Amino acid sequence: MNHTDAAFLELFLLVLASVALFATIIVQGDRRWWRLFTCLALLVVAAIVVGDGWSRRLLLDGAVFLAALMIATRGGPEAARAGRIYFALMVLSIVCIAGAMLLLGPGRTPLPHTGKTMILVLIIIGFGLKLAFVPFYFWLPTVAAAASPMTTVVIVSVLDAAAFFELAHLRQAVPWVFMEYRTVWIVVALASMYGGALLALGQRDLKRMLAFSSIDDMGYLLLGLTAGPGMGLTGALAGAFGHSLSKLLLFGAVGVAETRLGAPLTLDSRGQAARFPICSAAFIVGALAVIGIPPTCGFVGRWRLYAAGAELGGNALVIAMMIATGVAVLYYARAIHRVWLGGTGERAAWPEARVPNLTLTLLVAVILALGIFPAPFISVLP
Amino acid sequence: MSATSLAAAPVAALLLGVLIQLCLSPLLSPRAKGRIALVSGLAALLAAISLVPTVNGGRVVTTTLFDWDSGTPLRYHIDGLSLLFVLMATGIGTAILLYCIEYMADEREGATRFYVLMLLFMAGLVNLVCCADLLLMYASWEVIGLCSYFLVGFWYTDPAASEGARKVLVMTHLPGYGLLAAVLIVFSRTGSFAWPDPAVRQAFTGGLFLLILLAAMAKSVLVPLHTWIPEAMQAPTPVSALLHSACYVKAGVYLIARTFSFMTWPAGGQALVLTLGCATILVGAVFALRETDLKRLLAFSTVSQLGFIVTGLGLGTKAGVTAGLFYCLSHGLFKATLFLCAGVVQHAAGTRDLSQLGGLAARLPRTAFLWILAAAAIVGVPLTNGFIAKWLLYTAALDGSAVVVVLIAWIGSVLSSLYMLKATVATFFGDLPPALKHRQLAEAPGSMQVGIGVLSVGCVVFGIAPQLTMQWVVNPAAMSLGFPPAESVSWLGISGTSGASGALAAGVIMIALLVGGVLYSVATPRRDPAVGIFTGGDPLPAVGQVVTASDFLETIEDTFAPAYRALNPDPLYRAVWVQVRGIGERMDQGLTPMIEAHPFWAAAAAVGVTTLLLSVFS
Repeated sequence: MNHTDAAFLELFLLVLASVALFATIIVQGDRRWWRLFTCLALLVVAAIVVGDGWSRRLLLDGAVFLAALMIATRGGPEAARAGRIYFALMVLSIVCIAGAMLLLGPGRTPLPHTGKTMILVLIIIGFGLKLAFVPFYFWLPTVAAAASPMTTVVIVSVLDAAAFFELAHLRQAVPWVFMEYRTVWIVVALASMYGGALLALGQRDLKRMLAFSSIDDMGYLLLGLTAGPGMGLTGALAGAFGHSLSKLLLFGAVGVAETRLGAPLTLDSRGQAARFPICSAAFIVGALAVIGIPPTCGFVGRWRLYAAGAELGGNALVIAMMIATGVAVLYYARAIHRVWLGGTGERAAWPEARVPNLTLTLLVAVILALGIFPAPFISVLP
Repeated sequence: MSATSLAAAPVAALLLGVLIQLCLSPLLSPRAKGRIALVSGLAALLAAISLVPTVNGGRVVTTTLFDWDSGTPLRYHIDGLSLLFVLMATGIGTAILLYCIEYMADEREGATRFYVLMLLFMAGLVNLVCCADLLLMYASWEVIGLCSYFLVGFWYTDPAASEGARKVLVMTHLPGYGLLAAVLIVFSRTGSFAWPDPAVRQAFTGGLFLLILLAAMAKSVLVPLHTWIPEAMQAPTPVSALLHSACYVKAGVYLIARTFSFMTWPAGGQALVLTLGCATILVGAVFALRETDLKRLLAFSTVSQLGFIVTGLGLGTKAGVTAGLFYCLSHGLFKATLFLCAGVVQHAAGTRDLSQLGGLAARLPRTAFLWILAAAAIVGVPLTNGFIAKWLLYTAALDGSAVVVVLIAWIGSVLSSLYMLKATVATFFGDLPPALKHRQLAEAPGSMQVGIGVLSVGCVVFGIAPQLTMQWVVNPAAMSLGFPPAESVSWLGISGTSGASGALAAGVIMIALLVGGVLYSVATPRRDPAVGIFTGGDPLPAVGQVVTASDFLETIEDTFAPAYRALNPDPLYRAVWVQVRGIGERMDQGLTPMIEAHPFWAAAAAVGVTTLLLSVFS
């Protein structure tokens, strides 16, 4: 196992352990959820340990199908429908990626133009569906709203991150996919950034907003991969790492508060910080990390992605990326100030469970530590 | 201990204070936390002072602390300009921390959060001005931004504080991307973040100057990005004092000044900065005139005063830059004093609404005295540092033949006299309003008064002997920006002369002032403090009534009514926000129901779009 694989394995172990701790108080579904979660965790760990190749892909595909079942375990027609949609679209995604890999062949020999275009179409569809970038994003908000928060975290912070890791491997192994079609990837990335950010502004439900924020984030990460080795690839992997951690923190905070409140958090749920100060603080730190504000780990990846944008598309692209980030600042600031801060009339905090609070605190510490001392972490990335 | 090994000591002392606060939080009372913070601030100040002799000799203290990110070490480059801001942050910050011990003594729940943020705020500014790397400078820029955000929203269950914090975050963070964009574009051109690197200096172009200026405008409340600062007044008063005097608005001043080190200003840059500075002088003062909230009035006065400082820098001459830097330091002292006095008034009277205040000089005489000293300084009365600052600025503008600048600065000074007169009289003179007559109005505890006293003494000492700051702090700062030392300044700001003639002139002025004072006290009959108040020209109320803020300057307020509407950019910002949010909502309403109801058709459409995209671009 190389250093990057080891770093991602540590990330996934941290996320999975945190999910298990959160799931002790956040209602996830019936007992099947725990069995499915355990199997999924084992598959993910095995996938990283076996290294790059078909075995990894098959193990991760297996984990994706387990996730579809986890969505459905929450019960109710919406969860069942979301599980079915996720399952069907992931089948399509896996078929497309497998098709692309078969066309590429083991030797990755030179291909005619039509063949290359066909492969690219399959890759964009396959990874677009898995990573939920525009225009293939539509399953993610449905799943985020219908599934339990921790199932969504498993999908966004583990399975999507692993799929992105796979795409990063592809970027290194078959560089022409990105280099010869830069414009296409830049258009897709910008569409994800702006589409995700603007749609997030239109949301009232916090979990759906977080889902659109993931789509927004994916745009930056794709741009990093498009820029390639150097700032781009390192920034994309560091960004994916930060994305996983911060989404875990954000969904964890929302999940804990929603469980205690017994209702979904929306923009009308004013002043929840008075009741849940730790969840509120964790949400704010998570939001800062997603936006890429120092001293969180999000900045470590984000500045590299901006620099990659400068390499790739000059000043105009950097400024376009920053404007998209500005929109993200607006929707996160609105969520923080409409949902968490402000008054409810209540003065005393509600008694909170110790385990999830400690988990949130630990995650905040990790996000800040990686932002303040990023050198050891960055040194393991390619 | 060598200067190099002391370079990190100010930041280290502050961060050690943070660590102690976090580790010992459950064991300490709010007062004990305050004392620990004070000791940290004091240690940082002493460490900063120990660097003065080295930097004053023209040396630059450089050191590499550790590898922050791969290829981006945390390097310090401490020159005269850095040291000026370090001294300001640690000196004024420490006096404010002394004040905080009693002010926050009843804040059981949030004391640790408060002191941690205050110390980080100071450490952030110190790190910002010491960094040799532009990326880490930006990181510090955002750290102080976050500290101010959290401190403004300190009482986060109060909707006004929460909304104020939101405005601070949005309005200062978004323009901050200008700085980051400039830094990254330079990095893409040179592969380096180190601003002392000659290659980096050459890579800065006119467009990047505009991006940097945009970021500085938002932090330093230059028009039209100034509207966040009155909303930040929901913060605890020591936060307002720190934010206005040393650790926040001054970051933008530092950035503008620092650009002299690493780039040549583009053609038109000087005119642009001068225009912004002059507009800020006037807009801030005009808006301060109509305020009836004491802290909001001071906030708008900060806007106006920052205009003076930036105008000095915008002159771009050695005299102008020296005046700007002297003004910056002076403003820190008198503005912190004014805010801390306002805190005492609010604490004692339970309000900061000028229409409900009055006559407090009788009950809070020491606070009134300290306020008047600082008010005299901001107005520019001789014997105070404000006078020297304005004098230097006028001289620099006249030397540069910038007559319009002199005229605007003069109008700004007149307006600042008016609004400070309004604030002073409405707060401290006349009769006590009925609501306050039966209230226990007590002076602030000793440590709070010492905190204010130290700052206000600074206003007078550096007004009488400005050469102390000029020689040891301001001139080295200007020299570090490539300007030769300015003309020497002697007692009371008399410049250009040395030796006997200067001392003689200073002596004559001192004697004249003393004689004037004695004559005034002998000739003026003792009167009831409720009568005979100068109101700026409006009719005097009947004897015994309270003169309130609304009795002042109603004519001026009416005169400026169209200006208040035209010069407030908030409706424009709000319209932009509504439009952007509207786009998001319309996209969501148009796309989401259709896509989520028919996901497989949506998948088919997405495949079609992708194929089309590829056929267009491949």
